[in-house]
Amino acid sequence: MGLTGIQIFKLLPKTNCKECGSPTCLAFAMALAGGKAELDKCPYVSDEAKATLSEASAPPIRGVVIGTGDKAKKVGEELVFYRHEKTFLNPTAIACLVTDAMDDAEVDAKIDNLNNVQFERVGLTLEADLLAVRCVSGDAGKFEALVKKALGATEKGLIIMADDFAALEAGAKAASGKGALLYAATADNCDQVAALAKETGASVVAKGASIEEVADFTGKIVSGGVKDIVIDAGARDIKSMFYNDNQIRRAALKAKNRDLGFPTIDLVCDMTDDPYKEAMLASLAIAKYGAIVVMSDIDKERMLPLFVQRLNIYTDPQRPMVMDEGIYEINKPGPDSPVIITTNFALTYFIVAAEIEASRVPTWLLIMDVEGMSVLTAWSAGKFVADAMAPFVVKSGIRDKINHNKIIIPGYVAQISGEFQEELGSDWEVVIGTREASDIPAFLKAL
Amino acid sequence: MSKLIITAAIRGAHAIVDRVEGKVNAAIQEYGADKEVNLPNTAYYLPVIYGITGYKVEKLGDMPGVIEKCRQLLPELPAENAWLPYLGPGLDAGMATAFAFELEESLLYLDPDKCPYLPSKEDPEDTDPDIWLGAADDIILRKRGVEFVDGSAPGFAAVVGAAKDVETAIKIAKELQEKSIYVFMASSNPNGVSFAEQLHEGGVQVGWNTRLVPFGKPTSAAIHALGFATRAALTFGGKTPGDFKEVLKYSKDRVFAFVLALDEVDDEKYAAAAGCINWGYPTIADTDIPEILPTGICTYEHVVSNIPQEEIVSKAIEVRGLKITIAKIDIPMSYGPAFEGERIKKDAMFVELGGPKSVGFEFAYSKPLDQVEDGKFTVVGPNIKDIEAGALLPIGIWIELAGRKLQEDFEPILERQCHHLLNGAEGVLHIGQRDIVWMRVSKKAVEAGFTLEHFGTILHAKLHNEFGAIVDKVQVTIFTDEEKVKEHLEVARKTWVERDNRLSDMNDETTETYYSCSLCQSFAPTHVCVVTPERPGLCGAYNWLDCRASHEINEHGPNQPIAKGDVVDERLGKWKGVDEFVAPASGNAFESFSAYSILVDPMTSCGCFEAIAACLFAANGVMVVDRDYAGETPCGMAFSTLAGSVGGGLQTPGFVGISKFYIGSKKFISAEGGIKRLCWMPKALKEQLKDMITARGEEEGVPNLYDMIATEENGTDEETVMAFLMEVGHPCLEMQQLMEMM
Amino acid sequence: MAFSALTEKYSGKMGTLTFGSGDQAITVGGQAAMPFCTFDGEIPNKPIVAMEVYDVVDPEWPAAVVDPFKDVINDPIAWAKKNIDEYGAKAICLQLASTDPNGENKSADYAAELVSKMIEAISVPLVVWGSGNVEKDAEVLSKICEVNEGKNLLIGPAVEENYKKIAAACLGYGHNVVSQSPIDVNMAKQMNILISNLGLPMDKIIMEPSTGALGYGVEYSYSVMERISLAALAQNDEKMQCPITNDLGKECWKAREVKLTEEEEPAFGPDLEKRGVLWEAITGFDMLLAGSNLLIMRNPKAVKLVEECIDELLA
Repeated sequence: MGLTGIQIFKLLPKTNCKECGSPTCLAFAMALAGGKAELDKCPYVSDEAKATLSEASAPPIRGVVIGTGDKAKKVGEELVFYRHEKTFLNPTAIACLVTDAMDDAEVDAKIDNLNNVQFERVGLTLEADLLAVRCVSGDAGKFEALVKKALGATEKGLIIMADDFAALEAGAKAASGKGALLYAATADNCDQVAALAKETGASVVAKGASIEEVADFTGKIVSGGVKDIVIDAGARDIKSMFYNDNQIRRAALKAKNRDLGFPTIDLVCDMTDDPYKEAMLASLAIAKYGAIVVMSDIDKERMLPLFVQRLNIYTDPQRPMVMDEGIYEINKPGPDSPVIITTNFALTYFIVAAEIEASRVPTWLLIMDVEGMSVLTAWSAGKFVADAMAPFVVKSGIRDKINHNKIIIPGYVAQISGEFQEELGSDWEVVIGTREASDIPAFLKAL
Repeated sequence: MSKLIITAAIRGAHAIVDRVEGKVNAAIQEYGADKEVNLPNTAYYLPVIYGITGYKVEKLGDMPGVIEKCRQLLPELPAENAWLPYLGPGLDAGMATAFAFELEESLLYLDPDKCPYLPSKEDPEDTDPDIWLGAADDIILRKRGVEFVDGSAPGFAAVVGAAKDVETAIKIAKELQEKSIYVFMASSNPNGVSFAEQLHEGGVQVGWNTRLVPFGKPTSAAIHALGFATRAALTFGGKTPGDFKEVLKYSKDRVFAFVLALDEVDDEKYAAAAGCINWGYPTIADTDIPEILPTGICTYEHVVSNIPQEEIVSKAIEVRGLKITIAKIDIPMSYGPAFEGERIKKDAMFVELGGPKSVGFEFAYSKPLDQVEDGKFTVVGPNIKDIEAGALLPIGIWIELAGRKLQEDFEPILERQCHHLLNGAEGVLHIGQRDIVWMRVSKKAVEAGFTLEHFGTILHAKLHNEFGAIVDKVQVTIFTDEEKVKEHLEVARKTWVERDNRLSDMNDETTETYYSCSLCQSFAPTHVCVVTPERPGLCGAYNWLDCRASHEINEHGPNQPIAKGDVVDERLGKWKGVDEFVAPASGNAFESFSAYSILVDPMTSCGCFEAIAACLFAANGVMVVDRDYAGETPCGMAFSTLAGSVGGGLQTPGFVGISKFYIGSKKFISAEGGIKRLCWMPKALKEQLKDMITARGEEEGVPNLYDMIATEENGTDEETVMAFLMEVGHPCLEMQQLMEMM
Repeated sequence: MAFSALTEKYSGKMGTLTFGSGDQAITVGGQAAMPFCTFDGEIPNKPIVAMEVYDVVDPEWPAAVVDPFKDVINDPIAWAKKNIDEYGAKAICLQLASTDPNGENKSADYAAELVSKMIEAISVPLVVWGSGNVEKDAEVLSKICEVNEGKNLLIGPAVEENYKKIAAACLGYGHNVVSQSPIDVNMAKQMNILISNLGLPMDKIIMEPSTGALGYGVEYSYSVMERISLAALAQNDEKMQCPITNDLGKECWKAREVKLTEEEEPAFGPDLEKRGVLWEAITGFDMLLAGSNLLIMRNPKAVKLVEECIDELLA
C-alpha cells in the first residue's frame, strides 16, 4: 500500500501486452494502486518487482473470507480510521447465534430469520451474513449434529464455537471445506486449532483475555499455516469493546503490527440480555471497527436500523449511492396523479419520496440518472438540464400512465423551466415545484 | 490645513474644561461632595469616562479627579508659527472635551425638578413640556444596540447645529431614516435653532421609535451619542472598562457613526468633533471649514467640509464606508430565482431589445466616487411608452460603478452578473453578454407598469445587495437610440480588448499573492486549488481575478489569499508560502504542491476538472482528455476511469486535473517542458483550442505543433499514436525522458 | 511484535459552552480527544441529551412518540415536567413548531411568553428551537432573547440568512446560539466566523452541521462532524472549536421506516415501537461517535439507551 500508480508502473514491464486485461501497463498500474486489480494478472512481472509490490500492497489488516459460494462474506482489509479519509471497505458481518442448548424450534426460527430477514434499498439486498453455532452442552456429538443441521439450513458462512477441543474438532470436520471460522484458538491450544483449521480449510479466531495476550500467539497460528485470523481480545462490555477495536486498528494501521493485523469479532450476544442494548452494541461495532458482530437474533425491527446504519457508514463518500432510473410509484398513483422529476442521488430520492409519502398524495416520481448527483450539482454539471431531461421524460413512458400533461421540476432548477418547456413541446406543461423537500406536502396538497 | 482646525479644537477644549470645572465646584458647594451623581438607569456610571478610563464617577466628589485627567490631556495651544503633527494633541483635546461634556450633562440630573430632559422615555409626548430626551438608559441601549449588532441599523448620525430651513431638515432626516440610520440630535446653530426642533416644528415625530432622537439642546448633549457607542462596546463587545484602545476600536469597527455639522462650527464644536475622531467618527460639514483628509484613525477621511446640505447624507455614508442594503427591489413585477428560466415567446413579447436583428450590449465600468450618482437611472432614446407592442429596439446597458474597494479588475466580474440579475425579473428574458445581448420584455410586464428604467432599479438593488463589499454606487443609463448605442459600444469594445489583455499580461513571477479555492472540500476533503494568474482553477470557472474578487466580497469564504513567499523551486512552481498554506488547508494530507508539474507533487484534483492531463511514457508526451469525450484514450483509460483514479482530492503523479484554458498558459506543465509535450487530445477539444495551441506552438518554436498533435482519428492506443508522432516528428520524442524527471 | 497501546495527543481541544443559569447550568464540550477516546485525552463533560417538547404536535406522529406523553402532549410545560420528573431529562428543548408561517403561524410574543413560563416551570436548562422558517425564526427567536434577558438559554437555529438578528439578540440579552450550516465543513467554519465577528464569543456558539437520520444522510453528518472534530483537535483550528449539537428527533421520527405499519410494508416487521426507538437511538449514537456534545431527542426509551451508552463508555 501507499505506492502511487506511477511508482507501480515503474516496476511493470511497460510493454502494453494487454494480457492482464488492461489496455496499457499504466492503466493496470492505476488499477493496482486503487486496489481494483491483482498483481497476479500480469504474467511478465519480475520476481523482484513482485516482492516489492506484494510487500507494499499487502493490506495492513488481513482480509478474511468466511463461507463459500454466493454468500461468502469478506471482512477486514480496512485502510483508514475515518470514512472520509477514503472509505470503509468491507461492511461489518452480522452473525446470528444458535446453540446446542436450544430446542429445534428455536434454532429453526433463528435460522429462518437469518435466511429471510432482508430489505431492498438502493438496488441492494440488505441482510445478515453469518451463523454462529455454539457448543454449550460440552457434548461433541450433539454439537456436530447441530453444525450439520446448520449446514443444511443456510448457505451463509458458519462460525463454529466450542471451548472444548473435541467439540470444536467435531464441528469443524462436519463443516470441512465450507470456509468456516473456528472459535477459538487460545494461547494454550493455538497449535492444535491451527492444524485443525488447516485441515478443514477454516479460518481461526484468536481469543485471549487482552490484546497483549492475543498478540503473543497470532504469529504461531500463522506459522501453523493459517493466515486467516480474526481477533477476540476478550471484551465483554461496551467500554473494553470500544477500546479493543480501536487499539487493534491502530496497531495494524499505525504501528504496522502484523500480529494484530486482523479483523476483530465482537460477541455482543454475550454482553447483554436486553435486545435493545444488544442493538446499540452492534451499532457501535459497525461504526467503530468491529468486523464481525454476533447477535442473539436477526429480527426485522432491529435489523432495519442496523442494516441501514451499516449501509450508510460503509458507503464510499466519493461515490454517492444511486437509485435506478425510472418511474417510482408513491401512494399508489393513478392517471390524474401529479408527476415529479428529480435526480437519482439516493439521498435526494429518499428525502423526496419520504415527503411525498408523508403527504399521502398519490404521485409519480420520475428518477433520472445523473450519476448520483444532487439537483443543483447535476444542473451545474450540465446533466440535469432541459435537453437531457426532455428525451428522458419522453422515453420513460410516463405519458402513457397519466391523463394530464403537467410535470413538476425542483424549485432549485426553476431557471431551466423555459428551455425544458421548449424541449418538451407544447403537449407538456412544466410546473415549478418547491426548493426544499420539506415543503412538498403542502405543495402537493395545494395542487 | 488641519492646523487651524486643531488649534480651534484645543482652544475650545480649554474653554469647556474651564467652564465645567467651575460648574463642578459650584455643585459641590451647593450639594456637598457626597451627593450622588449618575445618568438615568445605567450600570455604567458616566459611561464615556468609565469606558475609557475605568474611573467610576458615583458622587460629586469624584468629579475633580476627572477634571484633573482633563487637564493632563489638554495640550498647550500650538504656537502660531510652529508646524506639528497636529492630530495627536487634537485627539487629546477632543477626549478632554468628551469627559468634560459628560460631567456637565450629568450635573443636569442633580435636581430632578430642574432637569431639562425626559429620563427613560422613548418618545416625547404632546403633553411633555419639551422634546429633549437626554441620555438613553440601559434598557433602550440594549434594545437599540442589538439593531446595530445585527445590522438592521447600519449606524447613527450625530447631527449638530441646524439645517438651513425646516424643509431641508425634514429631507435630511428622511434620507437618513430611509437608510435605517439613527439620528442623534444635539446642539443648535448660533441663532439658537436646532435640528430636532426644526423637525418637531415640521410635524415630524421624534424619539427612539422613529430613530430621530433628540438628546439635548446644548452641544454638551452630543456626548450621549458617544456614551451610547461606548456602552455598546462594553455591553456587546464585552470590552473591559478602561481598556480604551479596545473600546475605541470596537466603536470604530462596529458602530458605524458620523457627525453631520450643519451651519457654523465654533470652537466648542471643533473640540467635540475632535472628540468624535477618537471613536473613529468623521465629521462632515456643510460650511467651508478646514478639512482633515488623510486617513488614520477614521476608516477614510476625518473632516470633510463644504458639502451642500442636499448631498451631505450620501457624502457622509461614503466617508464612513457605510454599506446600504435594499430590502425590496422596487419594480412592478415579481423578482426571484424562479423566473430565471422563463422564456418569452414572440406572441407574449412586448419588445425585443438587441439580438440578431439589432444591436445589444452591456457594459460595466468603474469611475471615481464623486462622478457616479447612486440610484440614478436614465433612458436615452425611445422608452416603453414610445413604442408599439412587438417593437424591436437596439439596447446598450451602461453601468457606472464606484466603490472604495472597487478595482478595475472586478469590472468584468460585475458585468457578467447582468445576465443572472436581469433574468430574475418576471417577464424579462436576457441572453448573452458583452455585445451579443438579446433581451425580451413580456406584455404582462409592460401592463404591470414596466419601463426601461427598471433595468437600472434591478441592477442597482442587486449589485448593492450581493456585491456591497466592493460596490458603493451604481448608476445606470439605458441607451435605445441607435446612434448612441453604437457610439457607446465602440467605447465598450476598446475596454473589452484592454481587459482581455490585462490578465494575459499578468504573470506568476510578478504576482505576490495567489488565491486558494476550497469550494470542493465538501466532497473532496483534502482538495485545495492554488490559483495563480497563469494557472486557473481546474474547473475553469475561477481564474485568479475571480478568486480575488470573491475574496473581497466574502473574506471568510472559500477563496483565501496566499502570500507565495520565497521560491522553493522555480521550475516546478513551488513556493514556501504556498506549501505552508497547503498543509493545513488539506487537513495535513499534503505538504507541498507544484503548480507547474504533472510528475512531482502535482496539485490535487477534486472532481470538477474540465479535462485531465496524463503522461504517455512510451511516447514521452502528455495527453489531455476532456469531459465531453467518452471514448478510449492512448493511456488505456477513458475520461470516466481517469476521473475515478485521480479525483477525490488526491495527488496522483503522472496525472492532473486541469481547466481547458490552462493548456494555453505558458505555465502549462512547464516543469516537464510545457505544451511541446502535448501529443494527443480529442479532436473536438483540439479544434476548440486551435488558436491557443497554434499561438503557443509558435512561441515555443514549433509553428506546426497543432498538426502534430494526434487525435482519436490517428489512434487511441499508445502504439498507433507513437507511430503517428514519429511520422510527424513530434517534439516530445526528443525531449528528456519523462521517467527520468520524477 | 508485542502490543503497546497507541495514544493520540492533539494540539487543540474543543471549546466549552455553558447554558442554563445558576446551579442548573450545564457545560458541554471541552474534550481533548475524539469521542469516547478517554485513553487519548480528557473528556471533561459528558455529552448531554435534551428531550424535546413541541408546542404543537403533527397528527402524523407515530404512536411510539405520542404514547409516552399522551396525557401532556397538548401542554408543552407539563410535557417538559414529565420528561424531567418521569424520564429524567437533563435538559429540555422547546420546539416552537407552532410559529411556522406554513402552520399555525403563532406570534413572537406568544413564543416569548411560552418560553418565560417554561423557564419558570422547569428545573433544567432550556434549548429553544425555532420552526426553521428563516424570516420567522429571526423575529421569534430575537423576541425570545429580549423577553428572557439573562437566562442564558441556548437558542437556534441561526443560519446564514438570519444569523445576524438571532446572534445579535443572543449577544445583547445574554444567551447562546446554535449556528447551523448545510452539511459542509467550510460552511460550518464560516458560520462560526460570521457569528463571532458580530461579537459573540466562541464559547457562546454551538454548531449544528445539519443532521440526517439513518437512511436520510446520516453518513454526511457523520463525516462532517468527524472532520470538524479533527480540525478542532489535530489542526487546532480555533474557528472549529465550538461544541456540536444535533437536532435529530424530528429527522428520525418522520422517516418512513418508523412510520409504516407492517400492513403497509411487511418487510419492516410488526413492532413499530422497537423499530422507531432504535432508529432514533442509533442515529443519536452515531452522532455521539462522530463528535456530538448535545443531542436533541424525542422518545424516552431511545434517550435512556443513548445515555446508558454514554455513561458506560465514559465510566
